[in-house]
Amino acid sequence: MAAKTTLEKLFQRRLLFVAGKGGVGKTTTACALALTASHLGKRTLLMELDGAGRAAYLLGVEPGPIGIPRRAGPSLSVMSVEGSAALAEYLEIILPVKRVLQAVFASRIYQYFVAAAPGLKELMTIGKIWYEADRMDESGERRLWDLVIVDAPATGHSLQYLRMPDAAQQTFGGGLVGRESQRLVDLLADPHLTAVNLVTTAEEMPVNETVEMYQQIRDELRLPLGMLFVNRLHRAAFDTSVVDQLDRKLRKLQNRRERTIVAEVLNRGREELGWSRINELYLQRLANEVDMPRIEVPFLFAEEFGLREVHTIVTAIAREASAAARVGAAHGRA
Amino acid sequence: MAGLEELLRRHHIVICAGSGGVGKTTTAAAIALRGALSGRRTVVMTIDPAKRLANALGMRTVGGSNTVVTGEGVKPGMLTAMMLDQKGAWDELVERHVAAAETRERILNNHFYQHLSQSFAGSYEYMAVEQLCELHASGKYDLIVVDTPPTRHALDFLEAPQRIADFLDKQVIKWFVRPYFSAGWGTLQLMNRTVGFLFRRLEEATGVSALVEVSEFFASMSGLFEAFHPRVKRVYELLRSRDTCFVLVASPEEQVLTEAEYFCRKVRELAMPLRAVVFNRTHREITSADDDLSGDEVGRVVRQVLGEGAGAERLTDNFNRYEMLGRGDGLRMEAFRRVLPKGVTAIEVPNFDSDLHSLADLRAMHPFLFPE
Repeated sequence: MAAKTTLEKLFQRRLLFVAGKGGVGKTTTACALALTASHLGKRTLLMELDGAGRAAYLLGVEPGPIGIPRRAGPSLSVMSVEGSAALAEYLEIILPVKRVLQAVFASRIYQYFVAAAPGLKELMTIGKIWYEADRMDESGERRLWDLVIVDAPATGHSLQYLRMPDAAQQTFGGGLVGRESQRLVDLLADPHLTAVNLVTTAEEMPVNETVEMYQQIRDELRLPLGMLFVNRLHRAAFDTSVVDQLDRKLRKLQNRRERTIVAEVLNRGREELGWSRINELYLQRLANEVDMPRIEVPFLFAEEFGLREVHTIVTAIAREASAAARVGAAHGRA
Repeated sequence: MAGLEELLRRHHIVICAGSGGVGKTTTAAAIALRGALSGRRTVVMTIDPAKRLANALGMRTVGGSNTVVTGEGVKPGMLTAMMLDQKGAWDELVERHVAAAETRERILNNHFYQHLSQSFAGSYEYMAVEQLCELHASGKYDLIVVDTPPTRHALDFLEAPQRIADFLDKQVIKWFVRPYFSAGWGTLQLMNRTVGFLFRRLEEATGVSALVEVSEFFASMSGLFEAFHPRVKRVYELLRSRDTCFVLVASPEEQVLTEAEYFCRKVRELAMPLRAVVFNRTHREITSADDDLSGDEVGRVVRQVLGEGAGAERLTDNFNRYEMLGRGDGLRMEAFRRVLPKGVTAIEVPNFDSDLHSLADLRAMHPFLFPE
């Protein structure tokens, strides 16, 4: 029997967070995951938090208005979420008097309160996420989305989002917000429903942050962990000996033009070897310190980064995931 | 004017801004090192350096707040590295500004405060600029280099002081404090029906106790707020002064550059002096620089030198792949340069073949940051 890939198992949940340090390819990974899920027939919603609609652009569509899903494929939609908009939406649900609401939204006090009340925006954002994850379709018989994938903001900020329901629950105790928060805490902590995935590159700073974040999610927030995506891995197709050999030849070259060319080829060779070594070193550290199934995504040499490149990553992820499943099956589960 | 040499000579404060993950900390350290090497008493205020870079700068992480260690062997000047503690920024703010021990305790133990200090972004940025003002006033340094916090948006650093000042605005605080401490609900409702309505709803939603804590918090902190607006004003004055310059650190990726463009525009609106852009980890195409050098010729030469075989082929492939990166980086950087305001220097630092982690590594950036 074919083993279920780690991805298929991951996609059985309803809500996947994708978190990591800035600049490690988080949005790209979230897009690739969302595409993969939709290819597997999951009706998927990708939510981008506080983003500039980059996820939509990467998927090849114009971003829609905030809080409204935009179609980006046969069973794929993408949406930008923003805290104050989510709060307004929430208040519209609990305070159904339109005219009063408009006065409230327009008042300076309200605006300051929203800016000031710590964590309110984050809490509302998480609430909006669960609203989408729980939302029924028009028939009212099944959920609108099989899977909601959240492209969280950079590390520190994504932890703030995940921490918020718990903090709010403690602050607001028995009130309505307290009860709502408790519900969110329970949902986020349910390993059948939620998983927090991490994205990193195999370099010192991102790995430091990833290790720290992994520990915080595991020990402090106690949220279920999903997969670790390691992006932009260099794997030189040649070794030091051939580079050294070229270096020795270079010293003997007389022709100036040839010297220039060989020197440049040598530089690029060294660069690739250097990064391969760094990546190798930090992959090892991740393997030692982060106990999560890992998907390794190669560095993509491309002139520009767009939908085609995301698809290349989709393929890489699928390949890695099925390889991991085969290895898992071969080792058996004692 | 090429390079940053002129900037360093003319300015007393250099602020390195940019979105996360573009090598901001390393760039700030390299600039500071240059200052010290050219004989100036230099301090670099940094946030969360890579461990090996911290070691190179002579910093050890000591628990608590600011760590100041003076590095040896940076002659003829002096290099001090200072690391801000990101977690305790609000506590420090309170301890610094609230004189009475009893009030201090009341604030630190307030639930609302605890919640707020964990989650209200910007306190750290505010602490950074406050620290900057202090270093500036101390007169101990000729050059202050600031590595701004790794925010998602480069601009957060500039906007945080204003945001905090708005948050602590006396007018707003009055609304929070009044219902419980002076006027009571009735008065409030008479004064402003909207606010009264909102408060009643909020109270229903949150439970009374939470709002009492909120009010108490503002009441305890009210002394602190008096001084806030003038302070923030001074901060902005310093940031805009002739002594200060901004260096935007970026990388040649689409997303980073989009953000960088926005930053440039915004910085002008705020009248902050942006003077240079540093692109890190760049690649440049080699074959197009010289019109008659083609990829084919590169392959031929490598084969000729190394002999036919897998080695020559792979090194050539590798070269061609990097050329592709270089083409993309080049196009994006050119497009970015075209929208840069006049008088802003653009500098490209190539991708090195290792992480930069020692003083010697930082020096490797100097030929690019400070070309002869």
